[in-house]
Parts: sequence; structure tokens; C-alpha cells
Amino acid sequence: MSTLTKTKRPRGNIGTFLARRIFQSVIVILIVTLIVFSLLHLALPQGPALGVLGMQATQEQIDAFNHKNGFDLPLWQQYLNFLWQLLHGDLGASFTLNKPVSVAIGQRLPKTMALALIGMIVALIVAIPMGIYQATRRGKAGDVALTAWNFVIYSTPSFFLGLILVIVFSQWLRWFPAQAPQGSTVGEVLSNPAGLVLPVLTMALGIIATFSRYMRSATIDNLSEDYVRTARAKGTSVTVVVTRHVVRNSLTPVIAMLGYYLPVMFGGMIVVESLFNYPGMGLLFWSAAQTSDYPVLLGCVLIIAIATVVGSLLADLIQALLDPRTRGELA
Amino acid sequence: MSSETTPAREPVLDITDLTVDFHTDNGVIPAVKGISLTLYPGEVLALVGESGSGKSVTSMAVLRLLPGTAKVGGTIRFAGKDLATLSEAKMNGVRGKDIAMVFQEPMTALNPTMRIGDQITEVLLNHDICPKDRAWERAVELLGRVGIPEPERRAKGYPHELSGGQRQRVVIAIALACNPRIIIADEPTTALDVTVQAEILDLIRGLAAESNTAFLLVTHNMGVVADVADRVAVMFRGNLVEEGPAERVLLAPEADYSRRLLDAVPKLPEAAWSEIAGIEEGVPGQVLQLDGALSITESAPIDGAVSVSDAEFARAHGTDSALELIDATVQYTRKGSTFTALDAVSLTIARGEIVGLVGESGSGKSTLGRAALGLAPLAGGTVNIFGQPVRDRALLNRRERQARARVGVIFQDPGSSLDPRMTIADCIAEPLVVHGWQGKRASSALRRKRVAELLDAVELPRDFADRYPHELSGGQRQRVGLARSIALEPGLIIADEPTSALDVSVQASVLAVLRELQERYGFACLFISHDLAVVHDIAHRVAVMYRGGIVEEGLSSDVLVRPQHEYSKRLLASAPSPDPVEQARRRAARAVLAESVA
Repeated sequence: MSTLTKTKRPRGNIGTFLARRIFQSVIVILIVTLIVFSLLHLALPQGPALGVLGMQATQEQIDAFNHKNGFDLPLWQQYLNFLWQLLHGDLGASFTLNKPVSVAIGQRLPKTMALALIGMIVALIVAIPMGIYQATRRGKAGDVALTAWNFVIYSTPSFFLGLILVIVFSQWLRWFPAQAPQGSTVGEVLSNPAGLVLPVLTMALGIIATFSRYMRSATIDNLSEDYVRTARAKGTSVTVVVTRHVVRNSLTPVIAMLGYYLPVMFGGMIVVESLFNYPGMGLLFWSAAQTSDYPVLLGCVLIIAIATVVGSLLADLIQALLDPRTRGELA
Repeated sequence: MSSETTPAREPVLDITDLTVDFHTDNGVIPAVKGISLTLYPGEVLALVGESGSGKSVTSMAVLRLLPGTAKVGGTIRFAGKDLATLSEAKMNGVRGKDIAMVFQEPMTALNPTMRIGDQITEVLLNHDICPKDRAWERAVELLGRVGIPEPERRAKGYPHELSGGQRQRVVIAIALACNPRIIIADEPTTALDVTVQAEILDLIRGLAAESNTAFLLVTHNMGVVADVADRVAVMFRGNLVEEGPAERVLLAPEADYSRRLLDAVPKLPEAAWSEIAGIEEGVPGQVLQLDGALSITESAPIDGAVSVSDAEFARAHGTDSALELIDATVQYTRKGSTFTALDAVSLTIARGEIVGLVGESGSGKSTLGRAALGLAPLAGGTVNIFGQPVRDRALLNRRERQARARVGVIFQDPGSSLDPRMTIADCIAEPLVVHGWQGKRASSALRRKRVAELLDAVELPRDFADRYPHELSGGQRQRVGLARSIALEPGLIIADEPTSALDVSVQASVLAVLRELQERYGFACLFISHDLAVVHDIAHRVAVMYRGGIVEEGLSSDVLVRPQHEYSKRLLASAPSPDPVEQARRRAARAVLAESVA
């Protein structure tokens, strides 16, 4: 339908499709943990002891720490231990936070998801009409100006974009605080909407730049389809042709892209959360990386890997369900 | 066919001095250069010409649906109103209501995510033809009227659930919805099988007669013109070169171009309709002796035909066959159910023989071609090429590989079967490289020499070697395809619809080159086509495929004149002939055959 996304359409019955995809996902997640596990040990051959205990730690303290956490075992055994724990739902305990990793992630993940969801909704509300507007006025001043703007935003790193927003809206204009709302629950965070504006804006601008491009090209593809000509020949006005026929067909691939975009968003969250000191998973990941908190790092990577495979699974399912040509095969 | 029009009537559409120029970055390109046409109620006016003649542009200009780069001059008067002066909103009131349109590509002309019923009610509601709660009912009625089975159920379905012919019927239902005074049909049957085409044309004829609707029928197919048109206007490079009653233009064209165009159309010989369907020869359009329709078994020349074919078959059955299929079966499994695309088909092509394979979409003719190339896995039977069994390429031994190297292929779409990033020389030389022509030592200079020879052979200038596919026309690209297929001096060529994407005059020249090459190199050829006249032109023998099996096989001059099988008869009767007299016989035969089926 469009050159934008050529996804594999699910074939056959939904049960076998899901079973196959879930099996593939488990393999992917295993491989991801293996890679991350190996990389952590390559980066720090001495293990996390110095990072956790401090530079003044004595050799006895380090040996005791390594023995207690199993870091004196061969690497493959450490990995198997990790998997064995994982199989029992145990992500281990954080070295620095004095709590199990699952608890730490459980506290942070909802907040990150809330911020991501708000950012995504805000972004789509802007990006989809923007893409349609640009497509219907392709090559005209409005389209060219928005394209230029989107490329500027797209090529600006988000930490830099965030800093500019802080300087302009927080320091000069004093409209919004530079720090994100603090709090241990989603409710507490949401009770301070002014504090959310700048983090959401930082995230949303980048997503708008990306998704308005997707929407623009999907709409342009659809505008040149034969069914548009048929609809016009019925006496349907151009505006109605776009809203009634083109938007629905263009949205399908764009919505599917959301699933693939999940891991990209998480990467962005690390920057945004550190920049605005937002108590989410991104910040947790960032501080864990600085203190060599292995169990937290592994736990976060695992969550991201799951989000990635679930996202792409959702993308395929959404695409298949929205398109009547594949819907029948899933039923 | 009323060959006399009465100009005394008020024309419903009056086009005067129409010009269309496209303003592009490379300057102004004139597409239509001042043509004048009139269309009267209840008549079918055929606008014919080859690609680029401006016929589609003319039809789109009437509804003002051309892109913004097009500048339109002259006047188009509909029922006295100049359409160019109407506001866009007023024009939307004309589109679909007074002037409706049917398009060429039924597969893509409907919105894939909108229910069929909704796509029909849209036009009804646009023009307030009926209240919202009645619209659905009307849509179902319309579907029934254009011959869609189970219209209530289909209205709730989506376009992908329908075949191409059914989709075209839906588009026609949309066009009919508001009882328009004019229907513009742009190549409405080009993408369809001949038997479906015949049904759609019957529908158009019936509508013109019963509801006084005027049709502007844009087509390149002279057979379609002979079948339904009252008048013909011939366009060539944006100009109108001839206009007149259909019979006169088809039988005695005046303009030089019309004559050339008609000469290029491959024609079938007059079929023995008296034997096939009891149609009296020389009395066009008259159906005689209905009950004698099926008495073909008594007619004399059949035995002769069969025995010749058998002799051919026997000779081919020796070691000297180029391609041999024995009970070849190909099955596809999808959604748990098995579909037999090729059902225990046996066919032999002798060395140096051209065998035409005809049939409609889904009959399995392309699958047979793929099986011959080892591209479709066999569920049963064997396929031999030069006596060597065809197997998975990875399993081939040296002799089998050599046999495989002796097979050339020509594909349907010359545009997309050439890699756009490879020069013509590289495209042609690719089989030389892949199959290690002249051993590994073959220098690039040697290959270049061979490419030059091949370009000569297909009558393309040698300097085309350094060009890219997009710089060539469709016919030139298909000649490149030909050159590539003969690069290794094959003993067998599989050609799958090699000329169906081409204009008739281009088709004629490509076929001439193919015929000449065949005479020079003496390769065998499996020529797959839906066009019976083309097959008759080029093939020694012909096999008719229907639902995965070969229903009839024999000399072209027999099978395409006196078909024996019910399906072959229907196929032949549906193939439109540019000769109005012959076409009238075919139409009559079609009616008789349809009756005998019912």
C-alpha cells in the first residue's frame, strides 16, 4: 500500500501466528540479555566492586563482595545463575538502592510510561494533521516551511533541544519550571502539570518531526491511488475525499510505526529524564550505569527488550486488524 | 449496432477545439492538440488510439480531473453548459450525477478499507438522490443490477473479496447510481479476462440501449470497438485523425494512421461458427438452429485435426523434446486448504516448435511456465528439459545445469523485469556471466561483442548498450528482454505474456523480431498469452488451459478455428475481433453457447 512500511502480514490463524511470534520474541530477549551481559563484563573486567564500594575499598572487601554476588564464578556460570533467577521472576537486588530490582523498576516504570504516553498523544495530535496538511499542499510554502522546521528539530539532539526550551521558557519567560514534578506515584507526578510541560515538549517535538514525515509520505502515496480518482469522479470534494478516504488508509502504516518506535522513545526518555530530573526508569538506568549497578542495568535492558518485541508484535497486529484485507485471515 | 446516428438530435456532450498542455519542469508538453467531438444520447462513441495519443487525457478533461499542471483550452459543453466556467462546487454536482466515469484498473479503483455498499451510497448521498436510510437499499439494488451475486452480503464486504471483473461491476454500479446522461469509460475491460470483458461489454451495450445513456468509451482494443461502438474517433499524438461510423472506420479506414493501426492488430481467421454454435455463415448476428448448437461432434474436419496433433505429439515424444511435462502437478497450500494450480498436466514441445498456451487468469498457464523453469515445486509428475529432469537449482548436476542454461525467459512487464540500476549491456550480459559463458576466461570485451550482436539481432541501435532501462520505451525494453533471453543461444524460451503490456503497433514489431529470431536460431518456445490472435499469429500448436488442466491441444489453425471443448469455444467466442462482421458472429455464438451452458 505504501512505500513507508512493508511489514510482514500475519499469515494463517491468529493462534499459530501469536505462538510463533512469542517464541521468536523469547529467543530475541535471551540473545539481548546475553549480549548485554557480555558487554558489561567486557567494559569492566574487574567487575562492579570498585564502583559500588568506592575507590578506597580494600582487596578483602572486594573479594568478599565478589564472592557474595557470585562474581568470582566463571562468566558462563554467572549468566546461567542470572537466567535461573530470572526464571523465578527474580531480577536480583540493587547494589546501591537497597531494594530488589523488581521493586525499583516497578516504582519507576509507570511514571516513565505515563510521560511517554502523554508525549506520544500530544505529538500525534499535532503530527497527523500536520502531515495531512503538508501532503495536500505538497511543494507549496506551508509544506516547505514545515518540512524545514521538522528537519531542524529532527537533527537537533534532544538534550540540546531540552536545554534551549529550559533557557527560553523557564529562565527568560519563567512560564514553566525547569524541573519535572517529583513524587513516588503517577498520581503525584500528574498533579503538577506545569512541571510536565517542558519534558513533554522536548519529547513531543522530536516525535512530531518524525511522525509528520511518515504521515506526509503515507498521505502522498494514498493521494495518488486510483480510488481517490474514483471518489473525485463521484463528485466528492477534495476535502471530503481526504478526510473520508485518504486519512484512514494513510493512518494504518503510521499507527503501525508506533510499535516500532517504542525502543527509540525509551532512548529519548533517558535523556529527557536526566535533563529534567524526572524520577522515571530512564533516570534509574542512567544512575545505575554510573554506579555499575549491574542488576538494575540488566533489569532495565530486559524491560526495554520486552517493550521492543511487544511493540513490533503490536505493530504487526494493529496493521493487520486495521486493514480489511488481512483482518479476515486473523479471525 | 445502429450505424446511423441522427445528428438532428441535440448532442449531450460537445467538445470544441479542446487542447491540453502539461506544464512541467522540462517545458510545455502538448497532450491534446485541438480536437472536436460530439456525443449523442444513447450512442457509444469509441475514442481509440495508442498510449500517449491523448485519449485518456481527453476523457479526464471532460470531468476536469486532470492534475494542476494541465492547462485546458477550448470548450466542453454538457447539455449546453460550458463545464470550464462552472465553480468547483458546481462541477462536483456534475461529477457522478450527470457524467459518471468507469476506470481502467478495477483492482485499485475502489477504496480498500471502505465497505462496498458505502462506496456506492457515497455517490447517492453526494447528489441527494435518496435519503440516507434508503441509500443502502439502493446500493444493494444497483449491485444486483450489474450482476453481482448475493448483493446484500457483498455490500457489507470489502473490495479485496471480489474478483477483478466483479470489482469493475461495482465501479459500473457507482457510475450508474445517479442515472447519468453520460458514462465515460476509460479502458473499462483492459485489465479483465476476455470472457469477463465480453460480459462487461454486454452490460454497457444493454445500458446504452435501454436507458439512453451516452458512452464515451476510451480503448485501444479494436475488437472492443467492433463489439459495442456506434461511432469511432481515432486519435494519434493529440490529434483526431479520423471519425466516423464504427463499421466504416473498421472496414474501410480513410486515415493512413487508422489503417496502420488496424493492420497491426493480429486477427484470428474466421472461425467455423456454423460448426461451433450453429451460426449460419454470412448472416451476421443471426442465430439459427439453437438446438443444433451442440452437434459439433458430427462435423467432418475434426478427426483430421486430432490426428495431426497426435502425430506432432508422437514425434515430440521421442528423445527430441525441448520441454516435456508428464502429469505435472503443482499445489499451493494456503490457510490450511490446498489449491491445485496445475492438475496432472502433460505437454510436450518439440525442438524448434512454438507452442502457444492460452487461458484466462487463474487457469494455471503461468504456473505451468514456472514449473517448466523449476520455479514451482512439483507435487507430482515430472518436467524434463532436453531430457533432463528439472529440479531445485541447488541439486543440479553438471549436465542438468547445462540443460538449464539452454532455457531463456521473457517476462510480461518489460518495465519492471529489468534492473533500473543496470545498463542495458549489463542486463543483456547477465545470463552470460551467471552461466559462465565461454568459460571463466570470457573477457569483458568478448561479452561486449556478444551484447552488440544481440542488440543487432533484436534491431536496437548498438549505442543503447550504455543506456539505462528508464531511457527506453516499453517496446524497446521488451526487445532488450528478448536479447537477454537469447543471449546463451537457448534451445527453449519460456515467454509469459511478452507483449500484453505493449501497444498493438509495438506488439507487432516485437512479435516480428521474435518470429525472425526463432527462424534464425530455431529455438523451441512456450508462448503464454491470453490473446488468442497473437497466439494464432506466432504459434504452431496451441494448448488451452482451464482450471489447472489442458482441455484442448492441437494445431493453432485447428483449435482456434474449430475448438472442440466447451470452454475453448467460449473463449474463442469471447475474443473480440476488429472485423465487425466476424464480431457479430462471435456475439451471436456467445449467446448460443451461454444458453447451452444454462
